Amino acid sequence: MTRTSRLAFVAACSALALGLSACGSDGGSGSGDGDGEPIKIGIIADLTGATGDVGTPYNKGMLAYIDHINAEGGIEGHPIEANSNDYAYEVPQAEDLYRQYVNDGVVAIQGWGTGDTEALHKRVASDELPFMSGSFAESLTDPNEAPFNFVVAPTYSDQMRVALNWINEDSGGDAEVAVFHHDSPFGQAPVADGQAWVEEKGYDLGYKAYAMPGGQQNYVGLLNQAQSQGAKYIVIQNVASPAALVAKDIKDQGLDMKIVCLNWCANELFITTAGADAAEGHMLVQPFAPLNVGKPGHDVINDYIEEKGINAAEVGTSWVQGWYVMHVMAEGMRQAIADGAEELDGPAIREALETMGGIDTGGVVGDGVVEFSADSHRGSTGTGIYTAQGGEMVEVEAGATP
Amino acid sequence: MAQTATGIHHRSYSSELRLRATRAEYLRLGLMLVLLIVVPFVLDNYWMSIANTILIAVIGAVGLNILVGYTGQISLGQGGFLAVGAYSSVILSDRIGLPTPLAIAFAVVLTAVVGTFFGLPGLRLKGLYLAIATLASQQIIEFLIRRDYGGFLTGGLGYINVDRFSFLGFEIGGRAVFERQWYVILAVLAVLAVMAARNLFRTGLGRSFMAVRDQDIAAEAIGVNLTRAKLTAFAVSSGFVGLAGALTAHYSEVVSWEKFTLEVSILYLAMIIVGGLGSIAGAVYGAIFMTLLPVVIRNLANALDSVMPFLGSQLPAVQNAVFGLVIILFLIIEPRGLNRLWERVKEYFRFWPFRY
Repeated sequence: MTRTSRLAFVAACSALALGLSACGSDGGSGSGDGDGEPIKIGIIADLTGATGDVGTPYNKGMLAYIDHINAEGGIEGHPIEANSNDYAYEVPQAEDLYRQYVNDGVVAIQGWGTGDTEALHKRVASDELPFMSGSFAESLTDPNEAPFNFVVAPTYSDQMRVALNWINEDSGGDAEVAVFHHDSPFGQAPVADGQAWVEEKGYDLGYKAYAMPGGQQNYVGLLNQAQSQGAKYIVIQNVASPAALVAKDIKDQGLDMKIVCLNWCANELFITTAGADAAEGHMLVQPFAPLNVGKPGHDVINDYIEEKGINAAEVGTSWVQGWYVMHVMAEGMRQAIADGAEELDGPAIREALETMGGIDTGGVVGDGVVEFSADSHRGSTGTGIYTAQGGEMVEVEAGATP
Repeated sequence: MAQTATGIHHRSYSSELRLRATRAEYLRLGLMLVLLIVVPFVLDNYWMSIANTILIAVIGAVGLNILVGYTGQISLGQGGFLAVGAYSSVILSDRIGLPTPLAIAFAVVLTAVVGTFFGLPGLRLKGLYLAIATLASQQIIEFLIRRDYGGFLTGGLGYINVDRFSFLGFEIGGRAVFERQWYVILAVLAVLAVMAARNLFRTGLGRSFMAVRDQDIAAEAIGVNLTRAKLTAFAVSSGFVGLAGALTAHYSEVVSWEKFTLEVSILYLAMIIVGGLGSIAGAVYGAIFMTLLPVVIRNLANALDSVMPFLGSQLPAVQNAVFGLVIILFLIIEPRGLNRLWERVKEYFRFWPFRY
C-alpha cells in the first residue's frame, strides 16, 4: 500500500469511528395503550433440541394461553402477538433470536433454558425487557443481579431442598443420595445448593452428584456408581426421557432405589416413557399441579381444551407450566395497563409485577399464589410432591416449602 | 478498466512487492471501505448485530486460516482458544481491574502462549493425528472451564457477567446505539487483523509458514527452523483467536462454556474450508457466508412457511443439514472455496475476450 493510500485509509477509519459513535436509531418498543394495538412478545422455544421432549408441550401451552386470551379480547383490548421460534437448546441461536425480537420491538420475552437465560440476563437488563423462562435457576431470582428476570415457580434449588427434606424424613434421617443431573448449567443449577442444604440442616445424608452424559442407551454405568456409593435415593435434575431411562434401568437391574425427580422430569412423560410399572412408586417434585389433580385453576384449561377438542390426556404438566407462566406475564401486562402506564413497555411491566401483589393461580403454581417484589423475583417457594401410582401422578403433599 | 491487462506484468521489484497490483483492486478496496462506512446507516439493529458477529468471526477465521491454511497444521482447538481469550480478558478486566483494552491485549498474549503449548504435538504429528491432538486441547480446555473446580472462574455460577465495555470515560450506550458503537470498534479491529495477516505473508516468517505447509522436509533443507515456524504459527494464530474470544465476551457481556464447544471449532473450520484455505480474503468470505447461512435459512423458512411448513418446524435440523451439504458441495466442486470462485470471476473479466 502506498503512503497516500495508507493515509487515506487511516483518515477514512477515523472518519468512520467519529461519525458512527454518535449515530444510531431506536429499536422501538411495542405499545399497548389506546387503540387495541397488539402487544408484541418473543418466545424462544426448544422444540427439537436436547430438552425438546418437555420444551414442545411447554411451548404449546404458552401458545394455547395466548390463543385463549386473544379470544377473550386480549389484555384490556390488546391482543398478544407472539413470535415463537425454535432454538434447539443452542445458546448462540437463542442470542440471535433475542436480538431479532428486540429489533422487532417486543415488550417482553419468554425464554426456555438455563444456559441461554443466564447468557441473556445482562442484555435483558440493559434492554429493560421482562424475561420469564422455563429455567428456575436460583441465580435468576435476585433483582440486583438480574433485574428483569422473573422466576415464576420455586427454584430448582428450592425443589432440591424440598426433595432432601422429604428424603430425610422418608429414610429416617440416614441415607445416601445420588444426584443425577443434566450436564449443563440447567443440570448443575441446584447441585451445590443441595449440598449446602444438607450441611445447613445437619442432615445425616450422604450426597454425591453425577453428570448424566447425553444420548445414552442406558444408565447402568451411572447406576453402578450410585450403587457403590450405597445410594437408596436418586434425585434427578434432567428432562423426562433420560430420567425414564434411569427408572427402566433400576427396574431391569432389580435395584432397590427410589427416584426423586425435580421439575422437568416430574411429569406424565416420565411415567409414560418409563412405563407405569417401572415408574411405580418413584417421587416427583413438581411445582405446577398436573391436570388430573383438579385444582380450581385447571378449570380454565379444561374449558379451553374442551372447546378446542384437545384430548385431556395429551395435556401434560409441561403444557400446564407453559400456560401459567404465560398467564403470570399477561397478568403483569394487565396490571401495567391498569396502573395507567403511558406506554406498555418493559419497565412498566416490571414495575407492575413487583408491586401488584399476589397473582392467584387457582392452586396450580406452588402454594397457589405467585408474588414478586422489588427485593425478590422468586415467585413462589411452595411445590407439590407427587408419586407415580398406577400410571398417574398422585398428590402426596401440596405446597411443600423448604 | 479500459486498459485491463491480459495478466499482471511487473517491470520493477517494487511493483512486484506491492500489496495490490491492479487499479481494479484499489477500486474494490475503495468500495469495501464505502461499504464498511455505509453499513451502520442502512441496517437496523438486528442486522447490525449480525454484522458485529461476522466481524468477530472474521478475526477468528483469519487466525485459524494462518494455522490451517497457511501452515498446514490442522486444528480442532478453536473453541478452546476462543474460551481462553474470553475468560482471561474478562478476569483481567472485571476482576483484576485492568483497563479493558489492556486486558484484551493480555488475553491475546495469554491465548498465544496456551496455543503454543498445545501446538507442541505439532512438532511430531501431522494431518489427522495433529487434528486429534488439538481436539484434545479443545476437550481439556472445555473440561476445565465447564467443571470449574473450586469456582475460580465463575464462582459456582457457571457463567461470568461482563461489565459494559468502557475506556477512558467512554462507555458503550444502550439499546439504541449499542450495536453501532460496537460496530465501529469491531470494524477497526477486523480491518487491522486482516491487514496484519495479509502483510504477515509478505515477511520471511510468513513465507516460512507456507514452506512448512508445502513441503516441510524441503523447507528444513533450505534452512527453515521447523520447530520455530510451527510453534510461531500456533502462537500467531491463537493470538488472533484470543482476540476474537475476548471480543465475544465483551460484546455479548456474558461468558459461559456453552459458547465455546467443539461445534464452534467445527464451525470455524467450515468457515475457512468454504472461504478458501490459505487465503486471507477466503477467511473473510467464509466468516461472512457461514454466519449468514443460518440466518438466511431461517428467514427463508419463515417466508416459505405457508408452502413448506416442515422447513420451519424442523428448522435447526434443516440448518444443520444445509451446513453439512454446503461443506460437502464445496469440497467436491471447489475445494479452494469462495475465494477461488471469486478469483475465477476476476480472471474471466481480466482475460476477456480470451479464455486464458
